[in-house]
Amino acid sequence: MSQTNTETEQGIPQEIERFNIIFRIQHIVMFTTFLLLSFTGWGLKYADAPGGVSTVWIRVWGGAETAGIIHRVAGVTMLLDFIWHVIYLGYLLATNRMTINLKTTIIPLPKDVFDVIKNFMYFFGLSKEKARFGKYSYAQKFDYWAVFWGMFIIGFSGFALAFPMLVSYIIPQFATGWIWQLLSIMHSDEALLAIVFILFWHFYNEHLKPENFPMNWLWITGRISTEKLKHHHPLEYELLFPEETKKNKKG
Amino acid sequence: MSSKNIMILAAPLLLILLSVQTTFSQESASCLACHSAMKGKLKTSIGAFIELNVNSEKFQNSVHGALACTECHMRFTDNPHTSPGASVSPAVLSLSSKISAKYHIDPVAAAACIKCHPEIYEKVLDSVHGRNITEKHQTDGPLCLDCHGSPHYIVPVKDPDSRVSRGHEVETCGRCHGDKKIIEKYKLQENVMNSFEESFHGRKLLLGHTKVPVCSSCHRAHDVKSKDDASSPVFGKNRLQTCGKCHKGANEKFIPAITHRPPGPIPHYTEKALILLVLGVFAFIVSHVLLEAFSDIRDAIFRKGRED
Repeated sequence: MSQTNTETEQGIPQEIERFNIIFRIQHIVMFTTFLLLSFTGWGLKYADAPGGVSTVWIRVWGGAETAGIIHRVAGVTMLLDFIWHVIYLGYLLATNRMTINLKTTIIPLPKDVFDVIKNFMYFFGLSKEKARFGKYSYAQKFDYWAVFWGMFIIGFSGFALAFPMLVSYIIPQFATGWIWQLLSIMHSDEALLAIVFILFWHFYNEHLKPENFPMNWLWITGRISTEKLKHHHPLEYELLFPEETKKNKKG
Repeated sequence: MSSKNIMILAAPLLLILLSVQTTFSQESASCLACHSAMKGKLKTSIGAFIELNVNSEKFQNSVHGALACTECHMRFTDNPHTSPGASVSPAVLSLSSKISAKYHIDPVAAAACIKCHPEIYEKVLDSVHGRNITEKHQTDGPLCLDCHGSPHYIVPVKDPDSRVSRGHEVETCGRCHGDKKIIEKYKLQENVMNSFEESFHGRKLLLGHTKVPVCSSCHRAHDVKSKDDASSPVFGKNRLQTCGKCHKGANEKFIPAITHRPPGPIPHYTEKALILLVLGVFAFIVSHVLLEAFSDIRDAIFRKGRED
């Protein structure tokens, strides 16, 4: 971590670490399994697509049986990745390695709603100021919590559909008549939402946006330049380098 | 019109008959000498049609290719067969009268299957399909040929071309169970074909899964029973055993997972709510992404250098 503190002449580092190696690994596992699940699940969701394209597509994944195994293994891996992430967060908080600060937290705050409104006004030319973000913009918070939503809705329904016999023992008697259809509807519809979300939101914000194209390399390096930090996360920048901010304001 | 047809057909028939050395055998070859060359249908006095053509190559490749025609067409011993009248065993004869509502042309031939397939035929007669014909004297309940196709061209079930193969069985059952008229007439469960196609079983079948069940895997084939019949494999607790064939340890909470019933109110309205959520999120992210991109372009062109 020596590079983190490579200081410029002004006394601030050129870049700072944003995500440590564990977060980066969790992200890599998440998107690898996400892609596998999307590719195999799409074929099953649209099995009756015209021209038998889904049959051909599933053959690419080794046929229906193999694609099913890939989907289950990837699903379980993703769930474990998620559980690892939650436990790791708990560990960081319990040992005070991570503290909750309103300017750096990923927890959604009322400010995020105002930021959305402010940005929309800016888009329409009604405001001259863009919203100023802390460590995480509302777009990033949305991205992050979408995974939680997906994990609860798609992850648990997927687990129940993959291991129905195991799960059947904990299903209350009154729910047996409708729970299975509910689970498959939840799994399928929310998976579509997740794919659409990643395709538009995540791909635009982290890949297509001019400042990030072709991708935000942060997922490998874990680092963000202080220049970019100042520009896109001014509140965090001010929190990290109060001296620098004062100097600039004076100058 | 019908007599004219016969006349047109009769002339070349006689020619062929004369040219072929008829050996008075009842082997298929001598029948096929004419019937493989004949084309068209004959209308009988009661308005039924007789398909005259038999594709000899397809017939010989079928499972019944080695049989003589008269094994089934028992009444026809003479050639040409103007007045069928040969004696028929009483078992076949009584069966033929039972199923005559369905087969106007040659009920004896349709009953003749029982000679070689007695157990299966008995099962069919006792099934909900067979009883519809023998007891209710209806014509639409299936017997052998309705599912297996023309008796002349039956191929083994394992053959992908078979009408009752894994790939074609659902389609074959769907000819009646997806037919609105028949569903209404017999008050059959509606939407069974769609609900199967939308189920995990149906989807996997489409994708080429080799083990997923088709109709007969759960409902049985020849001895199919109404779902309300206590002897049906899909009646009440019988499903424990039926589902358990593939899903070891299937219990009472597991078996409702697969049903032909339409989704109840809870899954239905949950789906509607989820669709609203998808559309809402989609509207937000697409408008945000597009507006942000436009504002970036606007800034780059018109507001150069405004920000450091």
